[in-house]
Formats: sequence, C-alpha cells, structure tokens
Amino acid sequence: MTAVMQGVRILEVADHTFVPAASALLADWGAEVIKIEHVERGDAMRGLASSGLALLNSKVHVLLEHSNRGKKSLGLDLSSPDGLDVLYRLAATCDVFLTNKLPSVRSKLKIDVEHLRAHNPRIIYVRGTGHGERGPDADRGSYDALAYWCRAGIALSMKHADDASVPSPPGPAFGDSIGAMTIAGGIMGALFHRQRTGEATVVDVSLLGVGLWSHGAALALSLQLQRPWAPMPRSFATGNPLVNTYRTQDGRHVSICCLQAAKYWPGISEVIGQPDLATDERFAEAASLLKNAAAATQILAAAFAERPAAEWRERLAGFSGQWAMVQDTLEASADPQTVANGYVVDCKTEDGTPFKLVAAPVQYDEEAALPGRAPAFNEHGDAILTELGLDMEAILDLKVRGVVA
Amino acid sequence: MALLKAGTRLKSAVCSTEVMIVAAPKEEVEVTCGGAPLVAMGEAGGGTLSEDAKGGTQIGKRYVNAAGDLEILCTKPGEGSLAAGGVALTIKGAKPLPSSD
Repeated sequence: MTAVMQGVRILEVADHTFVPAASALLADWGAEVIKIEHVERGDAMRGLASSGLALLNSKVHVLLEHSNRGKKSLGLDLSSPDGLDVLYRLAATCDVFLTNKLPSVRSKLKIDVEHLRAHNPRIIYVRGTGHGERGPDADRGSYDALAYWCRAGIALSMKHADDASVPSPPGPAFGDSIGAMTIAGGIMGALFHRQRTGEATVVDVSLLGVGLWSHGAALALSLQLQRPWAPMPRSFATGNPLVNTYRTQDGRHVSICCLQAAKYWPGISEVIGQPDLATDERFAEAASLLKNAAAATQILAAAFAERPAAEWRERLAGFSGQWAMVQDTLEASADPQTVANGYVVDCKTEDGTPFKLVAAPVQYDEEAALPGRAPAFNEHGDAILTELGLDMEAILDLKVRGVVA
Repeated sequence: MALLKAGTRLKSAVCSTEVMIVAAPKEEVEVTCGGAPLVAMGEAGGGTLSEDAKGGTQIGKRYVNAAGDLEILCTKPGEGSLAAGGVALTIKGAKPLPSSD
C-alpha cells in the first residue's frame, strides 16, 4: 500500500469512536497519531462494555482497536498548566489537531482554535461534535445512536407504522464509523488545501450532519414530496419483480436488484428452471412485465422457496443481473470478495493474541492498508516526552506531580 | 514494616532500583525490591537478589498494589521486582470508568 499520509502528524484529544476512528484511518494510511488520554482513566472507550458483551474481561478490546489502531498514547492532565504546556509543545510539531470536546470544554481547557493556533499557526483544527458548532445544542454531547440515528431521521425512516418500538442502529459505532471516514476525508482535503495555499482551515463534522448526509437521497425525496420518509409497507411489491428479496427453502434470502427488469427476465427464467417464462406474453415485454409484476413476483417467490440458498448461489453464479445473498457478519467476512480484496485483515496485540478488523475501505495502489495495534494506555508517554526534548529528570518530575501518566 | 509517605524516595537494597512513593496506604506495609526491604536513599544496601523477585523494574513506570492505595514510581531501573506485603506489584494501567452502550 502507498502510505499517502506518511509524514503527517496528528494530535488527538478525543474519546470513544467517532473522532478517534478518523485518525485511526489516517494512521492506517501512514500518519503518525499521538493520542492524548485522560491522565488516569485513559480513553473512556477503555472502560466500555458493549451491548451485554463482557468486553472488559476479554483479552482484546476490539472496539478500542477498531478506533485506535496504529496510534501512540500519552496520558496527560490537560487541566494542569504543565500538562497544557506539553500539549502546546506537541501541537507545535503537528499538522492536525483533532478533538471531540464540546465548545465549552475546549475553551475551558484552553484547547480551542485560538490557543492551538497561538502555538502553531499552521495547524489544521478539526472538531467532531454531536450537533455542529452552531445552534442551541452546539454544546450538548451526543452519541451516534442519538444524533446520527434518531435525530437525523434514520430511525423513523426504518420504523413501520405498526412497529411498537423504534429500530436501533444495527451495531456499535455504526454512525461513528462512517462519521470517522467523513472526518478523515475532511482532514485530507484540509491538508491538500494547506499544501496549495498555505492556509490552515478549521474542519467541522457532526454526527447529525453525517446522519443527514447518509440519508441524503431519501431526505431530498422527502423534502420534494413534503412527507416524512418511511419504509415501504411489509407487503409492498416494488412493481419490478426483479427488485425484491426472496426467501429460500432453508429460510435464507436472495436479494435481486435488476433495475432493467425486462432485460434480465429471460435470464432469471433460466435460473429458476422455467425458461418458457421468457416468451410468456405476460412477461415478454417491459410494459407487460410491469403490468403483470405481481404475477411475476409470485412465480419467483414460489420458485425461490423450493430450493436452498446454496443451490441458488450456484444457479445464480452465471446470471448476468445483479443479486446478492443476504449474509450475516461472519459470512460477509468470509465472502470470497472480502477475502480477495483484503477487506478484513489479521491483527495482533502486543502479546501476539490474534484478532480481526475491517480494513480501511479505501485502498491505494491495489493493496489493503494493514492496521497497527491500538496502544496500551500511555504506552508511548515517555518516548513522546523525550522526543519533545524533556530529559528523564523532567519526565519523572511530571509523573510525580501527576501531570503525565 | 513501615508507614510510607508520599514523596519519599527509597532504593533497593539489592539492585540499582530507585523509587518514589506516590501514594501510600494508611497502614504500615513492607515494600521489597528483589526480595529485600527498600532502604532510605543514603543507607547502605547489601544482600543478594532473591531468585523469585527478579522481574526487574522499568524507569518511569508506576507500580501499584491490588488495593490501589500504594503507588510507587520507579525513578531508576534495576533487576529486582517490587512487592508489598509479599505480593508482587503490577504496572499501573488506565482506571477506566465503567460504562456500557
């Protein structure tokens, strides 16, 4: 992989996933990331147990790895003048400052744009927040389950009218992870701009903004139609029998998405072993197929229900239309396409314990970026301070006073 | 056994380790390095490194007991390993606040 971010130095004061995962991606692509952690507690992520899974007791905290791979860690007390001095000295050596602290916290800690720029006028200042920098809730904290999912309209867009509850995000850090990619892209644009013009910019990305963008196509339609976006009724047939999800004999699902139904109708007739359907006058032309979509859908539903998924996989292999098996996460990881493209990669902790992570989904020069491991708390503290020019006596003094971990 | 005080500098009697007490329990406790009790900085050492206390100390690392009321900062490394009341001290990690999503 071409390490396109090689030589870029990033200073991060951020917890959890949304913002840290942005610099994790940049680290995958070669950036050096210094992660400042709370001097005693570390990144709040270190204490997070997820969704009833006892992560705290497992050997590898894979959520921490997902969002902190390849970084260096320094435990630093930003509320002390000496800690702040260390931060400013580090900032002077960095290209990017990245934080998820809220506006009031940034100004209280004196890590806002003005203070950082006073020590490095060229630093790109990046803020990841819940709701953006302006507006009545600019200073309110959030999580992706809230700002990205609920507030941005996604949750209700998935809720059927007869559902008693509101759908939750499909997994931990769902909005955070795409939000992180958004921040990473923002940072790369800012670096490019600075290189061309010499100007350092302020970069803002919020979970609300990313949620709206993720849902932007539906939002545009919703605004045009002036009605809230909602899922299609459960019994809804699209009007295109080749845009549907069919249940197999063994309870799996095959999803077909051929927007030009008439073009692919003969092909699917072959696949289901009923080639005569290709010339059946009900379905032979685009207009007639559209008119008889319900009948065609019923034929396909009945056919798919007669054979197991594995058989459909084989039968569909030569089909020229677009289709996919509906897969679970383990199947997706083992998918031959995932494997061939290196989308899931093998990682190891410091003591050699293996685990797997999803690779950065952008590849440079045809190779997956292999993530490094997440740092132990304050793992690089002394080295970072030494590089700043502090001798051991000075470092020990900071330690004794609790300024560094 | 001794009542420790935060800020006190001590050294190993049997290796080159030097430490500073960062946090001390209210009760008396015997802290050893390399199997022998720590001594005051000016005091002469002596004795040999115990075979079962040779893990070594690393400069800049904080060592804590299980209760978390004893914290010792290593200011000079050595071959002995630290223990309190006969129980090995461990390198301090983050103390994350428990949370769940």
